[in-house]
Amino acid sequence: MTVAVDLPGTPGSARESETLIDVRGLHVVYGVARPVHAVDGIDLAIRAGEIVGLAGESGCGKTTVASAILQIVRPPGRITGGSIRFRGQEITGLGKEELRKFRWRNVSMVFQSAMNALNPVLRVGTQFVDMMQAHERVSRGKALDRARELLELVGIDPRRVDSYPHQLSGGMRQRVIIAMALALEPELVIMDEPTTALDVVIQREILQQIQDLQRERGFAVLFITHDLSLLLEVADRIAIMYAGEIVESAPAAALRERAQHPYTNGLIESFPPLTGPRLKLAGIPGSPPDLAEPQVGCRFAPRCPYAKPEDAYLYFRQTNEHPELREVAPGHLVACHRVEAAQ
Amino acid sequence: MKRLHAPGWLRLLLANPKSRLGLGILAFIVLLTAIGPFFASKDPNAFNLLAARQAPSWHHLFGTTDQGSDVFAQVVVGARRSLLLGFAAATLATTVATILGVLAAYSGGLVDEGINALINIFLVLPTIPLLVVISGFLKARGLWTMVLVLGLVLWAFEARILRSQAMSLRNRDFVQAAKAAGESTHRIIFGELMPNMISRIAAAWVLVFYIALLTDAGLEFLGLGSLQKPAWGVTLYWAQTNSAVLQGEWWSFIAPGAALALTVLGLTFLLAGIDEVSNPRLRTERVGGGLAHRLTELILPSRPARPRAEAS
Amino acid sequence: MSAAPAADRRRAELEVRALRKEFPVGGGLITRERVHAVDDVSFTLKPGRVTALVGESGSGKSTVAKLLLRLYEPTGGSVLLDGQDIAGDRGRKSALEYRSRVQMIFQDPFDSLNPVKTVRHHLARPLAIHGIVPRGKIDERVNELLDTVGLVPPEKIAAKYPHELSGGQRQRVSIARALAVEPAVLIADEPTSMLDVSIRIGILNLIVDLKEQHGLAFLYVTHDLASARYVADDVLVMYAGQIVEQGPIDEVLERPQHPYTRLLLSAVPDPSLAAEARVELGAGQESAAVDPREGCRFLARCPIAVDVCSHVTPELVLDGFGRGARCHVTAPSPRSREETNGRPDQ
Repeated sequence: MTVAVDLPGTPGSARESETLIDVRGLHVVYGVARPVHAVDGIDLAIRAGEIVGLAGESGCGKTTVASAILQIVRPPGRITGGSIRFRGQEITGLGKEELRKFRWRNVSMVFQSAMNALNPVLRVGTQFVDMMQAHERVSRGKALDRARELLELVGIDPRRVDSYPHQLSGGMRQRVIIAMALALEPELVIMDEPTTALDVVIQREILQQIQDLQRERGFAVLFITHDLSLLLEVADRIAIMYAGEIVESAPAAALRERAQHPYTNGLIESFPPLTGPRLKLAGIPGSPPDLAEPQVGCRFAPRCPYAKPEDAYLYFRQTNEHPELREVAPGHLVACHRVEAAQ
Repeated sequence: MKRLHAPGWLRLLLANPKSRLGLGILAFIVLLTAIGPFFASKDPNAFNLLAARQAPSWHHLFGTTDQGSDVFAQVVVGARRSLLLGFAAATLATTVATILGVLAAYSGGLVDEGINALINIFLVLPTIPLLVVISGFLKARGLWTMVLVLGLVLWAFEARILRSQAMSLRNRDFVQAAKAAGESTHRIIFGELMPNMISRIAAAWVLVFYIALLTDAGLEFLGLGSLQKPAWGVTLYWAQTNSAVLQGEWWSFIAPGAALALTVLGLTFLLAGIDEVSNPRLRTERVGGGLAHRLTELILPSRPARPRAEAS
Repeated sequence: MSAAPAADRRRAELEVRALRKEFPVGGGLITRERVHAVDDVSFTLKPGRVTALVGESGSGKSTVAKLLLRLYEPTGGSVLLDGQDIAGDRGRKSALEYRSRVQMIFQDPFDSLNPVKTVRHHLARPLAIHGIVPRGKIDERVNELLDTVGLVPPEKIAAKYPHELSGGQRQRVSIARALAVEPAVLIADEPTSMLDVSIRIGILNLIVDLKEQHGLAFLYVTHDLASARYVADDVLVMYAGQIVEQGPIDEVLERPQHPYTRLLLSAVPDPSLAAEARVELGAGQESAAVDPREGCRFLARCPIAVDVCSHVTPELVLDGFGRGARCHVTAPSPRSREETNGRPDQ
């Protein structure tokens, strides 16, 4: 768990509590004929130097949020509402040139299946050089030097700049991608399922690496994954997404001790434990709603163990009224009628 | 009276706008081929030097060649031979390419090595000498000789491509699962592999069709055929040799060229439709729209019916 | 089910003895190097028990699964179904018979179904090939199978194409297809790794139900120790083609003997596990399986290696409970002790 330590000269120490990214009311829609509301009103704040986890399953919209922050949502997707500010500056309206500067320098991304993002016919060093020269005027020699530095930073032998991607193992390719993402010293790195395709041992190594780098360099991380157990270990704050919305958001410790939203609890209980008694788990029956259909009431209600017609009043609210995010404890927000009623 | 039921695949092709347009164009061409000769009162081969190199007029709808032959007649009568030639050569070459390619991919081992070697040989042999040698053996001349020759020359490059595709399909889990279920090799190839290769096989067919037609003229010139029988490729060939472009005699090559292009266009639209129809994921639901929307639908690749469940 | 399954037919033991599979590296005709993807693997699958085969990529676990399914032929060793060596079965009829008793569930829920065929086709084909039910009853049985795996309403699902189903549903179709032939042994190759977290439990519960209610013998191949613990009774840990530890799963997880097992355990994300408890990792990869020399294949990554490990391959010796580890240090076999004692310490 990262603890904010004010070491002299540590980048970011002076701006610990500064908000880097402030997303308000983000709406992203895909398609024209049958529009899918992939992201339906999200608020998300990322502060300098913190690791924010965004958890959810397929189709919940988490990758779309990442694309939106980098303004790389591709047609037929488009941002239809909300604002995204970086250090107070609105980026949704930025021109091409400014966006180009913003991307990678301020915010960079490690993509899902990043191993395939490397060009198989170019050497690793060349890909670094290409990337750096796209953003700054720098000679090939200097760029290669920097590439070697970065490889060393992520624990790869610097001589590997001359290797082709297929000569590296999966874990090493992942580190190369991470190194590239750090090349321009961004303040925020978005990582979309950076370890999903890796073996558990390599995954552990990469996670360790990310944590070490983050401590050393002080950048913020938006860690997107479906593996909540990873986030509970690694993140400072965690937001849980379901069907295009954030349903719970809290510091990791609070979530570990007392997750409130039934979906979060369902997720946590979907991880069979390695120790302790072997009990039968329930998982979460059913599947997420079709976001092309208009949504009424709580989107999780059809799968929620607490949505019972017998509790007439509560059930009515669950099926007709949209639950809003409310603070139930300092820094802990939940969007759930039942939790609200218990307050 | 019993209603006629079109076979399922035909219905799908008619429902898809791209293949519908393609089929329409092809139907038009075939119609022209069938009834056109009745309107072409001139003998396509008759030459009349006095009437040479004339621009289109009521007398000669598409003008005349340098020999005074009527271009319209050549196009319309030649259509029959061209279409037949293209169709037969494409079918022969594609069938051989598919059988050998898939067999090589699925069998692996020595069979694969053997067929690969065969493909390489055919690819490396220079076409013209090969044809000369073949023509030496074949006594008969004429359409079917041409078809055979074209088929022999054109199967190899497609075989290689189809082999690659079959190889990548062979390792897919669903083929392994079929094998594990006890499915026979025969049924795996025809029931599981091939349906996934339809659009590539169809594309191979169209490509060979096009090349066959153009190669035809050159081959005729080498003495493998008869330059007397009209065909689009022949008309084009003569137009080229007689510097029709330089002379500004646009009609002698535009007409047959357009006919060929239109046929291939129709085939291409049909192909695009087959692409969509053979992949259930691309069978989109049609939303009614204006002309602009429909024209765009024709040209742009389709969107899948639904985003894949696993996209976040 | 409309017909009561023949009790004998659906219960069988699958035994594997000293199984070996080697592949030439590079895939050409003339090559010297061979990768020993599976080396000296022995275990028995019993009815009503789930055996987990745990390992990472390159460990050879998927190859073992494919060998058991006869998608590959072994280079050495034998596979026995109910005591009968299947290598002798060459004919189509006996191959078919084997396939009706040993089936597999694949990892990729999308790839394991033919995208241009309906669900009904996928289930009807095995029924037809093995003559499980008369032709007229195929549709009925297809619906029953879909019901068994929890896909309702079966008639609607049967008409769908794979891309119209969710990942979890597709995986259930895969399971239904495997069940169609009424097998005795089911091999599940990472059946949940490509599914959403909340769906996995459903599939795992289905596996446990099938084991308990139908007495099937399961081989559950995975890299995820936690899910292995949830469903399995016994575990086999594989590394670089060899089994390095095996035994009842709770035993192995509570008292792991092999350093690799300990490594795996410490790598699993577990929020309650403090950072200090994690084992330090050494570098190195699965190239240990290519033309291996004598000696332990885990040597390069092992924190407790001693001298004998570099020139004597450790043996896997099982005690009466089927428990054992392949390690000179933590579970020395009599031969290891000989080798160690016979040499002066260096």
